[in-house]
Amino acid sequence: MSEKELGKKWDRCLADGAIKFGTGLGLGIVFSVLFFKRHTWPISLCSGAGLGMAFSNCQNDLRSSYLLHRSQKVGLCNKTHSN
Amino acid sequence: MNTSVSRSTIRSPRRADRTETQRHVSKKRLATKVTIAGGALYIAYDSGLLGSSEQGSEALNRAKAAIPPAVEEWMKYFGLETPLPTMPKVEFSPVQAWNSGVRRSISSLSEAPTKATQYTNQGLQYLKDLTK
Repeated sequence: MSEKELGKKWDRCLADGAIKFGTGLGLGIVFSVLFFKRHTWPISLCSGAGLGMAFSNCQNDLRSSYLLHRSQKVGLCNKTHSN
Repeated sequence: MNTSVSRSTIRSPRRADRTETQRHVSKKRLATKVTIAGGALYIAYDSGLLGSSEQGSEALNRAKAAIPPAVEEWMKYFGLETPLPTMPKVEFSPVQAWNSGVRRSISSLSEAPTKATQYTNQGLQYLKDLTK
């Protein structure tokens, strides 16, 4: 992975983190107001879940260059010579 | 004379005591709330906000492109003609500055031993010349 690619991946990670945190915050506010009598815990739960999703995406993105993808896998065959 | 008020009169009416219309209204309210929450969740999912990081960054770029015209439109609608303060264009790039700083410090560290021997040799030569 080149440095430019790594930099782009980190930029994507940060942008994704901000978006998921904001989305979680918004959905948490909606649920808190509608169902949970304006308590704070749904807001914290949903924003935390958003951050967790962003972390997981980031982890997969950064690890993807080291993983062997399905199309690249080579099968091994054991040849048995019977005499 | 018993003046104490029984607890059952103070307590809120039991579920069985509620009229059919009240139950109907509460069901409607619950249905409305579920619809709103479900709609919010669907909008978030459909616009790619809960997907992969590429979808998230695409959504952010779309939002960046859509917000300034929307803000201008709303300001015209409300009659506020004053333009928003634009971000001043700064020529300084912190990333470039940091990278050049790292490169300079590492190169000076790598050259430090040779330069140190050079300067000590020059100093010794100078002292030798002085003592001659």
